[in-house]
Amino acid sequence: MSVLDNLFVKIAALVRTTLTGLGLGDIWVNLAMVILYLAGILGVMITAALVLVLVERKIAGFIQLRPGPNRVGPWGSLQTVADTIKLLTKEDIIPACADRKVFMLAPVLVLVPTILAFAVIPFGKGMIATDVNIGIFYLIAVSSLATIPFLMAGWSSNNKYSLLGGMRAVAQMVSYEVPMVFSLLGVVMIVGSLQMSAIVEAQSKVWFVLLQPVAFLIYVIAATAECNRAPFDIPEGESELVAGVFTEYTGMKWALFFLAEYANLVLVSAIATTMFLGGWHGPVLPGWFWFFIKTSIMIFFFMWMRWTFPRVRVDHLMHFGWKFLVPLSLANIFITGIGVYLYKTIGW
Amino acid sequence: MYGSGVVKGLALTLKKFFSKKITEQYPEERPFIDHRWRGSLQLDKDACICCNMCVNACPNGVITLESGKDENNKRFLTRYEVNFERCLVCGLCVEACPKQCLKFTREYELATYFRDDVKLGLYHNPKLSAPSSTYAQKTEQKKEG
Repeated sequence: MSVLDNLFVKIAALVRTTLTGLGLGDIWVNLAMVILYLAGILGVMITAALVLVLVERKIAGFIQLRPGPNRVGPWGSLQTVADTIKLLTKEDIIPACADRKVFMLAPVLVLVPTILAFAVIPFGKGMIATDVNIGIFYLIAVSSLATIPFLMAGWSSNNKYSLLGGMRAVAQMVSYEVPMVFSLLGVVMIVGSLQMSAIVEAQSKVWFVLLQPVAFLIYVIAATAECNRAPFDIPEGESELVAGVFTEYTGMKWALFFLAEYANLVLVSAIATTMFLGGWHGPVLPGWFWFFIKTSIMIFFFMWMRWTFPRVRVDHLMHFGWKFLVPLSLANIFITGIGVYLYKTIGW
Repeated sequence: MYGSGVVKGLALTLKKFFSKKITEQYPEERPFIDHRWRGSLQLDKDACICCNMCVNACPNGVITLESGKDENNKRFLTRYEVNFERCLVCGLCVEACPKQCLKFTREYELATYFRDDVKLGLYHNPKLSAPSSTYAQKTEQKKEG
C-alpha cells in the first residue's frame, strides 16, 4: 500500500533523479520540477472542470427528476467535449465600445489566483507543490485577488449589466472573505501553524470539523459566496443581470470564466478537505485517493446546495455576511481561544 | 429552529436525487396516445361519396375536394387536400362525414422540412388514404408504444 500511497511522490523523485543524472544544473532541475508541478496542477484543474460540468448538469437533472444530458456518448459522458467544441468554434465578439485590452485580459487573469492557490494544496502525503510555512495565509492572500478580474470584466465590457455584476462580485467577495478568513483562523489557532502540511498532520487523530463545527459551517457558506455559486450567485444572477460580468463574453473567453468557476469550486472543496476533513488522512486507501474522495464529497455538497436554494437578494446577502457571519466567526475565534488556553493550562 | 428550513430543503432535494426520474426519453419512449387524440387526418377514399359535407363544415375552409363522375353517374374522388397550416383540428369535418370515412389518427409528429408538406394530401398520399379498417389495426399496434 505504501507504494500506491507514495506513487506520485516516487514519480516526482524519479524525474528529479533522471534530470540530475542527465547532468543538468540544480537551477534547471528545480525549474523543470516547477513546470512539472504546474503541468500536474493544470492537468488536474482542467480535467476536473471538464468532468464537473457534466457532473453538475447530471446532479441538477437528478435533483429535478430528469436524467440530465444523456445523448452524447454513453451516459452523456461526451457532453462536455461537444460543449467545448461548440465554444471553440464560436465567434469571438468584442463589443464596439469595450476597453479591448482589459476585456481580453480579464478572462486570463481570472484563472491566475486559482492556479496560484493550488500550489499550496496538499493532494496527498508529500504531494504539495510548495509547502510554504505561511501556506494558508498565502492561499487567502492570493484568492482575494480573484475579485479584480471580475471588476475588470465588468468595467471593460461597457455594459450596465456587466458593470453591476462586477460591482456585486467585488462587494460580495470582499464581504465574504472576512468570515471565511476568520473561520480558518480557528483551525490555525488550534494547530499553531499556517503550514498546510502541519495542518493536515494535526488532524491525524481527530478531524477539525469535529472541533470546529461552527467554523466549518461558516467556511462552507462563505466559500459558496466566494465561488459566486448559487444561492450566492448574484454577480451572475441571470434573472436580474442577464449574465452579470459574463454578459458580453463569447466563445473561449467565456469558457475561461467557466473553467475558473469550476477550478474555484475544486479549490474551495480542497481547502475544506485540508482544513476541516483531515486532508489525506484515512484508512486502507492511499492518501491522495482519500483526498480525492473527500474533495468529491465537498463538491457534491456545493452542487447539492446550488440546486436546492433560490438566489439570495443583494441586501440580504450583505446583511447575512456582515451582521451574522462576521460576529459568529468572531465569537467562534473567541471561544476557540478560550478552549485552546484552557487546554494548555489545564492540560486535558 | 433557525436554519431548519435549510436542512429541510437539502433533505428534499436529496430525496429527489435518488428517486425515479420521470422524464420521457422521447424518440425511444413514446407517450400513450388516447384513441380520441386529434392528430393527423386520414381518409378512406374508396368509401368517400364526395358529398362535400366536410368542406362545408370546415370553419376555416382548409379542405379542397375535387371529384369526377364515372359511367354509373357515381362520384369518385380526384383530389382531397387539407391545408393543415390553418386547420383548427376542431373535428367538425370528421363529425359531418356521413360515411365515417374521414378520421383522426394518433399521428402527432407533423413537423415537416418544407412548407408544402404541411398540406395533407389525403387522396394522393398512400399513408393518409389507406382504408380506415387497416389503419385502425395500425393504431392498435401503436398503442403500447
